Amino acid sequence: MIELRKIWFSYSGDRHVLRDVDAQFDRGLTVVMGPNGSGKTTLLKVSSLLYKATKGKVMVDGVDYWSLKDPDKLRVRREVIYVHESPRVIRGSVLDNLAYGFKLRGLREGEALREVLRLVELLNMKHLAEERAVGGLSIGEKQLIALVRALALKPRYLFLDEPLAHVHLSKRRSVVRVLEDLKDSSAIVVSTHDPLPLLSVADEALLIDEGRVVFRGRAEEALRLVL
Amino acid sequence: MTMCGEILDVVARSLLISSSATLLAAAWSIPASVKLASSRSRWRDPVVGVFNALVGFPAVLVGLLVYLAFSRSGPLGWLNLLYTPQAIIIGQAALITPLFISLSYELFARAIDNYWELAVSLGASKLQAYGLVVKEVLGEVLVVVLVAFARAIGELGVALLVGGNIKGTTRVLTTAIALEVEKGEFDKALTLGLLLLLAIVVVAMSSRLIKRRLS
Amino acid sequence: MNAFKVAAAAAFTVIVVASVYCMLVTSSNGGVLRVATTTSLYYTGLLDRLVDDFSRAYGITIHLMPLGSGQSLELASRGDVDVVLSHAPNLEKRYLDGGFLVEGRIFAFNYFVVLGPKEDPAKISGLADPVEAFKRIYDAGLRGEAVFVSRGDRSGTHERELALWREAGLNVEGCEWYLDVGSNMVKALLVSDNLGAYTLSDVGTYIKLRSEGAVDRLVVLINEGEELVNVYSAYIVNPNKFKVNYGMARLFVEFLTSDECQAAISSYGMGEYGLQIFHPAKGVIPMLTLCWQKQALGG
Repeated sequence: MIELRKIWFSYSGDRHVLRDVDAQFDRGLTVVMGPNGSGKTTLLKVSSLLYKATKGKVMVDGVDYWSLKDPDKLRVRREVIYVHESPRVIRGSVLDNLAYGFKLRGLREGEALREVLRLVELLNMKHLAEERAVGGLSIGEKQLIALVRALALKPRYLFLDEPLAHVHLSKRRSVVRVLEDLKDSSAIVVSTHDPLPLLSVADEALLIDEGRVVFRGRAEEALRLVL
Repeated sequence: MTMCGEILDVVARSLLISSSATLLAAAWSIPASVKLASSRSRWRDPVVGVFNALVGFPAVLVGLLVYLAFSRSGPLGWLNLLYTPQAIIIGQAALITPLFISLSYELFARAIDNYWELAVSLGASKLQAYGLVVKEVLGEVLVVVLVAFARAIGELGVALLVGGNIKGTTRVLTTAIALEVEKGEFDKALTLGLLLLLAIVVVAMSSRLIKRRLS
Repeated sequence: MNAFKVAAAAAFTVIVVASVYCMLVTSSNGGVLRVATTTSLYYTGLLDRLVDDFSRAYGITIHLMPLGSGQSLELASRGDVDVVLSHAPNLEKRYLDGGFLVEGRIFAFNYFVVLGPKEDPAKISGLADPVEAFKRIYDAGLRGEAVFVSRGDRSGTHERELALWREAGLNVEGCEWYLDVGSNMVKALLVSDNLGAYTLSDVGTYIKLRSEGAVDRLVVLINEGEELVNVYSAYIVNPNKFKVNYGMARLFVEFLTSDECQAAISSYGMGEYGLQIFHPAKGVIPMLTLCWQKQALGG
């Protein structure tokens, strides 16, 4: 379980982007909602251990992450994956990108490929996987690649920042289905300013506004709130 | 020595001195830019601003400052470096440092923003993350190195003041050109100028080739 | 932070190794004599020739730095060179009085020349007194008929020019017809030629440029008068103040005044320019010393 305790966050001394935030992420799908600029991305980055909070603690399975030593931090972090809203790709082919997470873990290509190919099949993006250079792809295609790259690792914790923002309508259902499959074994946290397509399959929901959590509860309740 | 041999000697020395200066400047500028780019300190922007402003610092002034430092009556006089190729190397390295840091800071700031965070978010160790950043920016760093080298080999002030334009030891292309102009030997000055241009173009072309290989 | 530490350590090592290397290489530099020289001696090629002869005879390496009198003397006063060759008596005197230089020896001379356009609007051609000529240029300048180009770079030639204005009792600062071009002799001559201006030049540079056809408009209008004597002296930097290669410096200065070297000075330029550019000091030292003193005090 990843637990946020009284988290405050500010970028280099500016105003606080997160104010006194408490949250817990365990198995299941959590939707983080809120208008643009409400602090969703920062919340996800703090939760996924990319940013260190200005104040407050982030506990992973009851241990304060930022008090750990480097090798222990790495061990914990390997189970926590974050996917950016604007997709980031590395130079090389699509397969280079999809296999990158496995390469970081020193896994052999064969093992890595099996899971990657299963997802490629599932998301019906075979033609894309054969692309040699990622440079010329559209932003939606890049986002799909970034999602598959993360999902294939089957992390215990998966943080997705607006994963559907650039994905083509025809593929959104498949992405949601893949997330639904994974949520029984992992904690998935998805931020979105448009929660409707996700709330129906989500377990928990979090609404933040101006850096504060204003609602925390079951997804069904949130659905009523939104509707 | 024949005239032709003398000119080749000057060209070779220019290339050697300025490439050493570029490497020396790279040795501190690249780590400094990485450090700056990954820093969250509120001093970062002012520091970068100072380096940006210093890019336009005149070479003659850098030359004068380095001369005063290395002069026998100066604080570093005991090193006995004045009027040696090494002194030019250090002076040129100091001259191109602001340019080097300004250009590579931008590069690393972008790369760290993009790739460092990407690598870490996918479970990379710090070493692996830096590995990705370096791999992704290597080609562009090479261009920065080339620009810095061009500035070093094309400058006159430092080479003249700190090197002394001594035939056979510290005479480089730019000081030789200045000398020929002062002597009124414009033809010879133009020939040397062409060679300087040629040297820069050759280095630029070859680094472009390497860059294409890398990416 | 590990990667950064590795990079920083690598950079630090490189710098340390480089500086140690620099020190090792240069600490063996004791066998080199550093000579800062006025440019006119160097550009004409005379000095290269003399230094070659000296190096061959004594096996001593000389590092020649062509810098102009002002800068050369300033370097000497900071102990950065061993010997200075200069032609600016009033500056030299200042550094002698300051105790920075010792053992001055006059080894050559020639004449400054007053150059101007063939038309000579100030009518100075043939005058025996350069000070009178400067007065006439001043008047013509005020009338808007003449222009004067000054080097303005604190070189020996510039110092001499300023001394001549002082002797004439005139202040040219800020005059519209008086152009301070702040540069070396070649550029000053080219500017003068383009504008049809008057200027003061050393004879060597002028002859060299004229032989290349670069300054066809300029002619020599005055080349006599003791104010125009151009005295070249050699000084050793005070060994009591700085770590100077005194032994070698002494050898070099003595070589410059030796019979062999004096003969080489008088024959230099005959082959290339068909004209004697420098005169040996041997035999006329008393006269030159007098000129030197007068210029040193007048300046």
